[in-house]
Amino acid sequence: MARTLIRRVAFGVIAVLGVAVLAFLLEFVVPGDPARAIAPRAQSAAVLENIRIQLHLNRPLIVQFLDYFGELFRGNLGTSYVQRQSVTSLIGPRLLTTGWLALAGVIAEVIIGGTLGILSTLYPRLRAAVAAVNLTFLALPQFVVGLVLLLIFGFRLHMAPVTGGAGPAEIVLPALTLGLVGAPWYSQIVADQMADSLSSAYVRTAVAKGLPDRYILWRHVLRNVLSPAITMIGMDLGAYLSGVVTVEVVFGWPGIGLLAVNSLQNLDRPVVMGTVIVGAIAVVLFNLIADVLRMYVDPRTREEPA
Amino acid sequence: MSAAPALADAALQVDNLRVCYAGLPAVDDVSLRVEPGQVAALIGETSSGKSSLALGVARLLPSSAVVTGRVTIAGADLAELPGREARRRRAGLVGYIAQDAMAALNPVLPVGRQIGELFRMHRGMSRADASRQAVRELARVRIDRPERVAGAYPHQLSGGMRQRVMIAMAMALSPPLLIADEPTTALDVSTQAEILHLVGELQAETGSGILWITHDMGVVAELADWIAVMYAGRIVEQGPADEVFDHPAHPYTEALLRTRRDLRTGRPGALLYQIEGSPPALSADRRGCAFAPRCPRRSEICDERPPDLTAVRPGGSPEAALPEAQVPTAPWLAACHHPEVSP
Repeated sequence: MARTLIRRVAFGVIAVLGVAVLAFLLEFVVPGDPARAIAPRAQSAAVLENIRIQLHLNRPLIVQFLDYFGELFRGNLGTSYVQRQSVTSLIGPRLLTTGWLALAGVIAEVIIGGTLGILSTLYPRLRAAVAAVNLTFLALPQFVVGLVLLLIFGFRLHMAPVTGGAGPAEIVLPALTLGLVGAPWYSQIVADQMADSLSSAYVRTAVAKGLPDRYILWRHVLRNVLSPAITMIGMDLGAYLSGVVTVEVVFGWPGIGLLAVNSLQNLDRPVVMGTVIVGAIAVVLFNLIADVLRMYVDPRTREEPA
Repeated sequence: MSAAPALADAALQVDNLRVCYAGLPAVDDVSLRVEPGQVAALIGETSSGKSSLALGVARLLPSSAVVTGRVTIAGADLAELPGREARRRRAGLVGYIAQDAMAALNPVLPVGRQIGELFRMHRGMSRADASRQAVRELARVRIDRPERVAGAYPHQLSGGMRQRVMIAMAMALSPPLLIADEPTTALDVSTQAEILHLVGELQAETGSGILWITHDMGVVAELADWIAVMYAGRIVEQGPADEVFDHPAHPYTEALLRTRRDLRTGRPGALLYQIEGSPPALSADRRGCAFAPRCPRRSEICDERPPDLTAVRPGGSPEAALPEAQVPTAPWLAACHHPEVSP
């Protein structure tokens, strides 16, 4: 088990580095001049050149590359071109803000999706209705769901704030958006796993043992649904932490996604790099956590692969 | 494995059991009795209805199956009780040993917990008491270091150990009836022998009746007091194991036993006896005897009407006189228009 973990961590580090290198190269492929973005009204070429020298943009690509990764290994993500503030101090609080939204969103999709999945399995009459709901939210893009929620609950019913921000009142609609759009996946996984489990020999054994239905459902059936659900939760948390861009933009949620979009528009390369790297770390970390949790709930995954 | 007092309730009494899927009978008008302390072997080819009969007896069939007839286990008729009550009672009445213990045990729960559940639900034990009792049950099926095994998950145990766990679970509440659905089929030969030996010992302790489903004639020879042969959903012959084994009356029983005898005596390379053709598909209305198309004794009457189960006596004809001691206590029956009892 320890060896498996060490290997996973090593692969994770390699993955993060790979993402960082790719992101770095992409920034230089994307057209645009950061100096012009910083000083859009500057007329003289000398001013722009001065900015480039200050930001070391005049040096050869390989030198910039080595500089950046040298600093990265010291834990330094550099300084924002635009905000004159360290990238770490920019990302830190926003990571927390996005973290709350990611957590609330995952809780929402697990509750909505899990309920739909369980209902459609236990009550065959609801199956068609649940399938219709699943299909609808699979087909709708996040920003449409978000805007519709905003329109109904914000502008019509005045039940939710529409001004943006990161308070407990503001989190409801973006989390619900993530929940509704993500729920079909959970619904499907839960329904499939439950169907497998309910028709299994071990559930027949449990029935033969005269255990109560509810006990069989919780102890024997849902325990076996947990493992794939945990994998999905880990993937979602990682992905959302690396930025739920559309949702953050629609609701003005000041998280990492919003920061990444603004920085891309400003060609603020160090901040873009920072968000990409932090996002990659989040994805790797939460998949790792999910793997560990899965070993806890499913003993079959504990053994070392041969 | 002694004969039970005649007046005691049978461990299992099945009367005119029918199990239908989508209107087609998988089990057709089966009557069977298992005495306490007795092993009744239910034999037949795959899809002869053995498992449907077993699951029908234990009321474990899916709701799509239509079950009619009467089943009493130690005098209790589960069909007379309301659903929830029946399910609760069943665990104390019948233990079910499945064929594939790996699939029949929950992969994500330690086996000790899966045994302990029974005591928590049915005996109202605390979690701690139930887990201690589970360890005792594991010791009872001769598992070494039962404390350790109780904490293991099914995939960490060997096939034989898993089957022991299944047996411990089935016998935990000391039910008067055990149903064993080919429990040794997936095991290697030496483990099979251990399991058979174990079940024999445990039965001597508890006096349960056992309905043992198998197509392995070796198991039958080893364990059975009573043999019931199924073909196409019906019992075609049943009787005391010694009688049926040595003097099969039905041509199908004879053929089944011949496959076994050839295996035992066959020289390497010798052709094994096999029954020509394959069992018929489920059918709602069948004229004549289901075995007729494969039967060496087939005659006109076999195609015209199905044979009834009638009493058989050694010597071929019911009139043949027998010394009093040799008359079987329970009726030995066969459903064949041309029963031939080899001497």
